[in-house]
Amino acid sequence: MDCREYISEYLAGHADGELAPLARRAADEHVSGCPICRAQLIEERALKAIVRQSVALAKAPAELKSRIRGALDEADRRAAAPWTARLTEFLAPFRALGSRISEPLVWAPAGIAAVIAIAILAAIAVPRRGLIAPPPVPEFELAISRFQQFQHDFVPNVPAEAYENQTGAVYAWVINRDPVHRVADEADSDAFNDLARSFRSANLPDDLFDFAQAGYTITGGRVDQLPDGRPIAYTLYEGAAGEIVSLCFYDPTMAAPIGAVNWLGLRSFYQYKGYSICLSFYPTGHFISILITRMPVMQLMRDVAAADPSGISR
Amino acid sequence: MLCSSLLRMARKSGTAADRRLAFEREALPHLDAVYSAALRLARNPDDANDLTQETILRAYRFFDQFTAGTNCRAWLLTILYNIFRNAWHRGEREQPASTPEEFAGEIEAQSRDADQSRINPEALLLSRVAGRRIELALNALPAEFREALILVDVQELNYQEVATVLDAPLGTIKSRVSRGRALMRKALCRLDQARGKTGT
Repeated sequence: MDCREYISEYLAGHADGELAPLARRAADEHVSGCPICRAQLIEERALKAIVRQSVALAKAPAELKSRIRGALDEADRRAAAPWTARLTEFLAPFRALGSRISEPLVWAPAGIAAVIAIAILAAIAVPRRGLIAPPPVPEFELAISRFQQFQHDFVPNVPAEAYENQTGAVYAWVINRDPVHRVADEADSDAFNDLARSFRSANLPDDLFDFAQAGYTITGGRVDQLPDGRPIAYTLYEGAAGEIVSLCFYDPTMAAPIGAVNWLGLRSFYQYKGYSICLSFYPTGHFISILITRMPVMQLMRDVAAADPSGISR
Repeated sequence: MLCSSLLRMARKSGTAADRRLAFEREALPHLDAVYSAALRLARNPDDANDLTQETILRAYRFFDQFTAGTNCRAWLLTILYNIFRNAWHRGEREQPASTPEEFAGEIEAQSRDADQSRINPEALLLSRVAGRRIELALNALPAEFREALILVDVQELNYQEVATVLDAPLGTIKSRVSRGRALMRKALCRLDQARGKTGT
């Protein structure tokens, strides 16, 4: 066993006590003769311990405990009641309608037929929905609403000023003077710097995805405020295949929601309400980055991989 | 063993009171674990309460199917994830249009990079890793890796139990735990570097 094999195949299982006896023996032997892998094993076990200490189990609220006990009592009560009593309970509202028949047993066939009919109708007509609906992801909802808005109404507002030099070349942009709302020509790499500077001045991360290799140009950027005052940066990219909108803002509480269809490093990719979304977290500052598009998620993954194969950019 | 037998008898042939008592002894001590997992999945306390209650009630209804002597927490979490997964799949989520194998290599390479000891173990282990940073790094993980790590490290399930809870093959769980930890190390390393740069 070499170090690469140990680390990729055995390390996690070794730290978790999940190796079969033979594998365990082989792993022990390797570690005893390899200080690097021994250190890795110590690190793995320490990481495991730190995660356990840091992510404490939440206490179920007292109100929930009492609610559950009540629900269990109710389940016991229903289970203990004879079936005629349960049927009587079920039929009580019908009897209250003034039926001339008061004996519940007479209602049994009709009641059973009604239950079956209602169940069939419900299965056919009622939209399928679980007890717990898929939780909406507010950050994704925001991205969708902005994407929809920007498709027909994107007005960049950064950089705030624009100037031309003596030769007539634009080296920064005034949005009001730009009839097509473009930050810069496709070949004008200053668009990157200008936007980055604007985002930086709004106390937002200043790195951008370079989708040029994937055939996109930057249409422009915006800096706005969320309702609670947090600044948010938008960048619109356009290419032959479609548009990508990037959002970046401070969000210290968000965790990657479950349901990603794929990952690229620390980026999670989702298909959410007909949109493809790439979510990533900045390593510092509690900022998150969301890319959203109508294109297929695999297309977005390819574009992201081409634009930013290693670092975290927006 | 005797205790398990008694529990089984109580569940299968005892009175309703015995059954309730057995359930309360076996299942309710794991209420916090179920609620914690529900909170992570549902993302808000109200839905977490509903999800927890539905899980406990369903467990109670099917308590006869619980195998005495096995891990009751894993059984409850399996029910919880099933309820949640069914609700989720009934939503508007779509499946990917094509296979993602071509990206597996890149993810693998990135995980391998993180595995190599560019990271000084002592620097990571003894670096006074604050809980907040761990939480941040954990939250940045793709959800499937994070779930596997939390089920193993926090809920203390074994790989087979995690495979059952997440309805995934055992090999997938091994891979998720391994890659999840590699990505955690990478994220922590970035946090360390960022702290070094900013002096925070």
